[in-house]
Amino acid sequence: MIGIRDLKKNFGDNEILRGISYDIEKGEKIAVIGPSGSGKSTFLRCINLLETPTSGQIFFKGEEITSPDVDVNRIRSHMGMVFQHFNLFNNLTIMDNITLAPVTLKLQTAEEAKENALSLLERVNLTDKADAYPSQLSGGQKQRIAIVRSLAMNPEVMLFDEPTSALDPEMVGEVLEVIRELAESGMTLVIVTHEMGFAREVANKVLFVDEGIIKEENDPLSFFNDPKDDRLKEFLSKVL
Amino acid sequence: MSSFTEKFYQDFIEDDRWKFILNGLKITLIVTAFALIIGVAIGVVVGIIRCAHDQQSGKELTGIKKTALNILNALCHIYLTVIRGTPALVQLLIMYFVILVSAKSKVMVAVLTFGINSGAYVAEIIRGGIMSIDRGQMEAGRSLGLSYVQTMTKIILPQAFKASLPALVNELITLLKETSICGYIGLNELTRGGDIIRGTTFDALLPLLGVAVVYLAIVHLISYMFSFVERRLRKSDRH
Repeated sequence: MIGIRDLKKNFGDNEILRGISYDIEKGEKIAVIGPSGSGKSTFLRCINLLETPTSGQIFFKGEEITSPDVDVNRIRSHMGMVFQHFNLFNNLTIMDNITLAPVTLKLQTAEEAKENALSLLERVNLTDKADAYPSQLSGGQKQRIAIVRSLAMNPEVMLFDEPTSALDPEMVGEVLEVIRELAESGMTLVIVTHEMGFAREVANKVLFVDEGIIKEENDPLSFFNDPKDDRLKEFLSKVL
Repeated sequence: MSSFTEKFYQDFIEDDRWKFILNGLKITLIVTAFALIIGVAIGVVVGIIRCAHDQQSGKELTGIKKTALNILNALCHIYLTVIRGTPALVQLLIMYFVILVSAKSKVMVAVLTFGINSGAYVAEIIRGGIMSIDRGQMEAGRSLGLSYVQTMTKIILPQAFKASLPALVNELITLLKETSICGYIGLNELTRGGDIIRGTTFDALLPLLGVAVVYLAIVHLISYMFSFVERRLRKSDRH
């Protein structure tokens, strides 16, 4: 579904991504791990073009989205993204956070969007927060709403950028639970994470990104039990 | 005491001299109100252009749109430099004696001058407000498929406006008081009203004190009104 060809990204003279190629099939759950500064977040942000690649190509359902005349807004409306710092719209209620994009982009009427939002809120047990503002929610609640906000667009793939890194430890579980349910429903997921246990359990492929390239990719069992790359061995020995 | 009453009578009651104050206040308020409208209109546009240029340059814009934005940004830059770099009084005199020399209405000259002048300050206030909003808000909007303009109008500007409001009220108060220089072009606004009385009765204290009290009352009223607005806007911040 997503094809990445020799993706490179520089910030000034700083080479963050130095040639990444990878294919993501529909329904796959990809976990991306790696040390901080390795480029794993940049890699994720290139997929929905929040970062403009310096060179290389990205294909989404056969269409080259890195081509200059592609409508990025249309592409992004098919890709959900969840951020480390939630980024809920502070000026809007939870309900409006969820319905803003589908209604503004005329994908749903206001009534449809509201109905859809309520059933999504039910899924994450936050129906009672519909009229609250983001500042009234806990971190775990905010992240669950952020996931729901993305889901309201009926995306074909969900990108998670360290979704639990900014959470208090006791709130990590509730967010991972929602992502796990999402994975079980068949959604295509790419998740940058430091939660090794979660990656092992939910992902069907784990990528180790370091120094701007994919150093190793494997199914979770072999990835964690039988790592080949020396940097990965060292990394796993520190985090496991 | 009788001399105070006598002077008060002379300064404000005799020959209906209070009308100088009242009519002056009317002119002051008219100039302030219309200048504010022009100033906010200019300021919002210039502020957004400057931000759009900083945020968008090198990103998705290409070709003609990018060139247009660069030119607009350069024009805004010149505008800000000239207006903020010269005194309002000099701008007023240039407007009255050079640019709009054939204009019949002094009020219009004042409104235009202060509108253009205030726009430069409002622009920087708005720009500051937009820049104070976390980058993640724009990224979240864009990641959902909203365009730059849609995210700007629905997410960023409402928050930026709220963040800018104290500074905007400050600008309004400054503007109101700064219109007192309109006497230089012979516009009978509030300050000049008091000054005319002083010139007639040769008493300086009471007319000028009267003028000061009226300014103070208006400024106080403005801050009082906007403290309500701010409290209302803060409803999304409660914890």
